[in-house]
Amino acid sequence: MNQYSRNCLLVLLSVALLLCLSCASPPPAGNVVDDLDRTINIDEIPQRIISLAPSNTEILFALGLGDRVVGVTEYCNFPEAAIAKPKVGGFSTVDIEKVVSLEPDLVLATQIHSKTAIPALEKLGITALALAPGSLDEVMNNITLVGKITGQDKQASQLVNSLGTRIEAIASRTQNLAPDQRPRVLYLTWHDPLITAGTETLVDDIISKAGGQNIAYDISGHKAIALETVIHRDPQLIIASIGMGTGEDLPWQYVKNEPRLKNTEALLNDRVYKIDGDLAHRAGPRIVDALEQMAQFIHPELFEEIN
Amino acid sequence: MALELLRDTAIPKTAAVYPLQWRSRVYAIVGLVSLLGVVIAATLAIGSTHIPLATLGNILLAKLPFIGVESTWASSMETIIFDIRLPRLLLAGLVGASLAVAGATYQGLFRNPLADPYLIGVAQGAALGAVTGFLLPASWQAASIPLLAFAGALLAVAVVYSIARVGKTLPMTTLILAGVALGAFLAAITSYLMIASGDKLHGIISWLLGTFSLTSWWQVTMVIPYISLGIVVIWLHARPLNVMQLDEEQAQQLGINVERVKLILLGAATLITAAAVCFCGIIGFVGIIIPHAVRLIWGPDHRFLLPLSTLAGASFLILADTVARTMLAPTEIPVGVITAFLGAPFFLYLLRQKKRAIF
Amino acid sequence: MFNLRLDEVSLGYGKRTVLHNISLEARPGEMLGIIGPNGSGKSTLIRGITRLISPSSGQIFLDGQNIASMSHSDLARLVAVVPQNPVLPGLFTAFEVVLMGRTPHLGFLKYEGKRDLAIVQRAMEATQTAAFAERRIGELSGGERQRLTIARALAQEPKIILLDEPTAHLDINYQIETLDIARQLCLEQKLIVVATLHDLNLAAQYCDRLVMLCDGKIHCHGVPAAVINTQTVKEVYGAEVYVYPHPINGLPATLIASRKDTSKPNARAM
Repeated sequence: MNQYSRNCLLVLLSVALLLCLSCASPPPAGNVVDDLDRTINIDEIPQRIISLAPSNTEILFALGLGDRVVGVTEYCNFPEAAIAKPKVGGFSTVDIEKVVSLEPDLVLATQIHSKTAIPALEKLGITALALAPGSLDEVMNNITLVGKITGQDKQASQLVNSLGTRIEAIASRTQNLAPDQRPRVLYLTWHDPLITAGTETLVDDIISKAGGQNIAYDISGHKAIALETVIHRDPQLIIASIGMGTGEDLPWQYVKNEPRLKNTEALLNDRVYKIDGDLAHRAGPRIVDALEQMAQFIHPELFEEIN
Repeated sequence: MALELLRDTAIPKTAAVYPLQWRSRVYAIVGLVSLLGVVIAATLAIGSTHIPLATLGNILLAKLPFIGVESTWASSMETIIFDIRLPRLLLAGLVGASLAVAGATYQGLFRNPLADPYLIGVAQGAALGAVTGFLLPASWQAASIPLLAFAGALLAVAVVYSIARVGKTLPMTTLILAGVALGAFLAAITSYLMIASGDKLHGIISWLLGTFSLTSWWQVTMVIPYISLGIVVIWLHARPLNVMQLDEEQAQQLGINVERVKLILLGAATLITAAAVCFCGIIGFVGIIIPHAVRLIWGPDHRFLLPLSTLAGASFLILADTVARTMLAPTEIPVGVITAFLGAPFFLYLLRQKKRAIF
Repeated sequence: MFNLRLDEVSLGYGKRTVLHNISLEARPGEMLGIIGPNGSGKSTLIRGITRLISPSSGQIFLDGQNIASMSHSDLARLVAVVPQNPVLPGLFTAFEVVLMGRTPHLGFLKYEGKRDLAIVQRAMEATQTAAFAERRIGELSGGERQRLTIARALAQEPKIILLDEPTAHLDINYQIETLDIARQLCLEQKLIVVATLHDLNLAAQYCDRLVMLCDGKIHCHGVPAAVINTQTVKEVYGAEVYVYPHPINGLPATLIASRKDTSKPNARAM
């Protein structure tokens, strides 16, 4: 190969590389507002990202950012590739030293880190952004936000569109149901004491989008509910979560074996279901799987075909 | 024969005051029994679900034989009253009684006003047992948690006892120190297991704070034999316990078999404490303030202090649990939070009222 | 006749023997004094007679019965102790504390009857404690508490009362009062009273017989005049004292003199 053609090839390659770079890397997002109402300046597209929650990890991988994830939590078990990533702590406990040593340019945190890990990281000059969605819509917004920050706008809008279509497929059939067509639902995350998901939780939003009504309508957040309240409100179905990480279905077993619940409609009609807590409690893309499962539990007659 | 001067058997003036004091204490027992009855009746009517008094009355009447009451209420009402509220308040009463009487016993045995039922390792042993239970495979948990808590409590005290024992005697100071040291050791293991427990932490913390949330009849029937046996044994040793308020030498010189009484009372108080905590967790404060409150009001004689503490402890914990389950209804608060929240100000008020020495 | 007899008794704590081969006897109506310097084993002897510690050899007999074979309450019906520094529970009333003296006479479940209350009342009158029967222990003075423990010992209706340094913390008037009461009881009720005393004058004045202990052995015993003299006190206590017959009753009276002062001629000249 002669000198000329070699130079030509070099120029061509350089142009191709430049084009490639410019198309793959839109300009950085600049100022964004996270779920704790903090304004954060993203002046470079993050290349080394740490996730402090399984939901964040799932969003990152769903947007094709698996390669850029350099640290996750011990509970990040989905997708498979996440398990192999370096661990930076548990759910609320963050090993700051480990985080720093991984030299991230973005840490995706949640609300529970607002008083501890986030200030500590910011003092060390690390950009931290908190995601704390309270509804399906906010989960979608979060996916869009993460896409924007990481330069994956396109993947984000594709994902949000496909998830939105699935949500709409359910919501369109349930949104016009009259109150008496909405079965009373008890959702349990733990059985001793009975911990349920009240208003301002994702689960509550899912129950209502799936066409049910949550019997814990006057409890806010994840709290204990009195057994006598459960019996008095007589749920038509009970959905118990399978423990995070452990795969144990203790609340479901409890409900099946508690003699005092046997006269509730849910038990009389054998409508006690279990759902993977990893789906129902994680504000990531798989939350829509949880919605579809719940919809089938609550309105099997409407959603036979979804599988 | 000794006191020849004793020809006149009429009771002299000073001694005559004594039965009067006595009588007032008997009235106190009757009063507290009635109070307990009222508390049980009242708290049966209170809960996150509103049940009208008339309905409650009819439901209760219908249970009596030979009275025909037409059932106009939902069957869930009956479940709520007989299978939720009644066992729950009975267990709360039994636990309150146990903790209060065990506290009084430990305070008497150790002659130490700071003693409570958890002083010599019962709580830490029970907690370690319970946390171990939480970590076992899921299907075993329902039975294993209370069983391991009960065993852990008894085992911890047995170890403390064998460490503290010197020959045939049991020096109480050594016992307390051994209890505190072993307790700290067990608590360290428990803390480590909690950190390692992952998502079971919520259940563990609820247990540690104490809750009657899911009490049902089987738990009541499980603890009744231990608790009633232990309490009766303690009541029967009220007089030796009085005499032991002197030092141990004097008690022995007054004919008390001190080492035997210590062993029996430690055993009984530990048994009822273990039975009390194994289902509902570590409920604090009842065991320390109830005996002191009773002592402040009715004096230090254990023949009254013990039964009065039993009754007052039962009423107090039933009330505290009623607050715990109704204050933020339909959600519930751990009862241990309420006992301290209600108990501490009441106790401070008593302290201010009676400004003399309290022990 | 009822008696207390120690037969070659050795007593101690663990491997350390404090008293060696002590033999002595006491009879009703007799007040026996145990004297000796600090650490000579006076209190150990009391603890042995009440079986707080068991003899490493020898036996202790009450009315011919070995106390090792008696139950705690049997023993407490015969022997009452007035301890040296009694812990008394501050919230109990004086009456309640004296009432505890009835413990060995009450069955497991029996409550005090009229007779018990009357015995307590008489015991309190005999010790002049009835006046504060309703007061709480915490409000009483040291002398009042000391008399209460004597009342409690009386309420036990014992045949033997053991007084362990009954006058140690009392003013001189209470010392006399306490020992007067003890002596009176001893005579009127034909009790055996055994008192450990460190005050040689009180011992000489009140006791019928004295046992002088030295290094865990009986140095000498007998009537006060035979036991307390200048020579024995010097031998046992190592103190230079002067023992004279008491001007009123002729019993030995021990006079002390400061060692410093005796060396100063001008002080003696005064």
